[in-house]
Amino acid sequence: MNLEDNVLKALQALSESDREHQAPPEMEARLRVAFRRNRAAKRRRQIFGWASAAAVVIVIFTTFAPRPRPASAVPVARPTESAAANSGLGPELGPAPATSPPINLPATPKARARNAVQREIVTDFFPLMDVPPPIGRGALVRVDLPAEAMRTVGLPVREDRLAERVQADVLLSEDGLATAIRFVKVSR
Amino acid sequence: MRASQLTVPSSESDLLRRMLSGDEDAFTALYRLRQSAVYRFALQMTGKVTVAEDVTQEVFMALMEHGRRFDPARGTLASFLYGIARNLVLRRIERAHATEELTDAIEDCPGDVDLLQDLTRRETIEQVRRAVLSLPGAYREAVVLCDLQDLSYQDAAAALDCPVGTVRSRLNRGRAMLVKKLGFASPIKAAEGAG
Repeated sequence: MNLEDNVLKALQALSESDREHQAPPEMEARLRVAFRRNRAAKRRRQIFGWASAAAVVIVIFTTFAPRPRPASAVPVARPTESAAANSGLGPELGPAPATSPPINLPATPKARARNAVQREIVTDFFPLMDVPPPIGRGALVRVDLPAEAMRTVGLPVREDRLAERVQADVLLSEDGLATAIRFVKVSR
Repeated sequence: MRASQLTVPSSESDLLRRMLSGDEDAFTALYRLRQSAVYRFALQMTGKVTVAEDVTQEVFMALMEHGRRFDPARGTLASFLYGIARNLVLRRIERAHATEELTDAIEDCPGDVDLLQDLTRRETIEQVRRAVLSLPGAYREAVVLCDLQDLSYQDAAAALDCPVGTVRSRLNRGRAMLVKKLGFASPIKAAEGAG
């Protein structure tokens, strides 16, 4: 038995005597509370990220999307039969006569269903910031989010529907910060 | 599959994955599985209960925040946690100058004292503990991880972020220092002493 073996035995004895040492029981409770806070903060950040990204997309779209050209202010002369005759074209090839105004027919049940007004069911607004800035002017932006986002504000979502898309209204403050969110369900 | 990935118990990987997706029960299970090892490591490195408690708490807070940085290809989850604990311990030691305090507290034992005959006695255990605490940091880490925490050289190397050969040489050097400090002048029936 050499000297190093003796040291190893001594260390083994120390290791065995320390085996019962562990962190105090209250630490587990503290860490669980911290875990919950951490999880909630992460989810808030996630929603904030989604909402911000959606807001940016909307701003870009509204800024750069092609706008419909305004109708010409110059009145267009409606061709007449004499004009068609003067053009040398027969009545078949000349400009088509002006169509008669549309007749309002009574709507069929299908058409009525198509035109039915969409009703929206909305949740309350959920704050996304612990201390939201006072809102003087702001904007409400409709965004499309994964259903998982609803969990972040404590709304129940089934596991198998987490990936589905839901609509939400994000309240943006004047400086573009997402301050609150509400979820929207569109029903007919 | 790489060999190192086989060393990660599937239950731990699974618990970590679930924990990172927000499962509190998985976090609790991981904590219960690993807290005592982390706590003992910090205690054996610093000799201070309060520091060991703080370090343990901070390690698991760090796991919540940075658990995604764990890479099974680089070592086990235990190594990852020891690595975090080690950094925190070193920071504490630097801040509190604990090394000097502990080094001052230990006196080399006279060579004619037969320590191992009374090894089960508390004071003898404490003498060994103080001897370990008096080792320079690099050697202490190797001794604590390999001899007190029973980590393999590979896992210790992953925790210390150094090559396996370095762990081996530090361990040998650390043990040699302990021989000197504990004053094992003559061969002792270690089996009897340890019992």
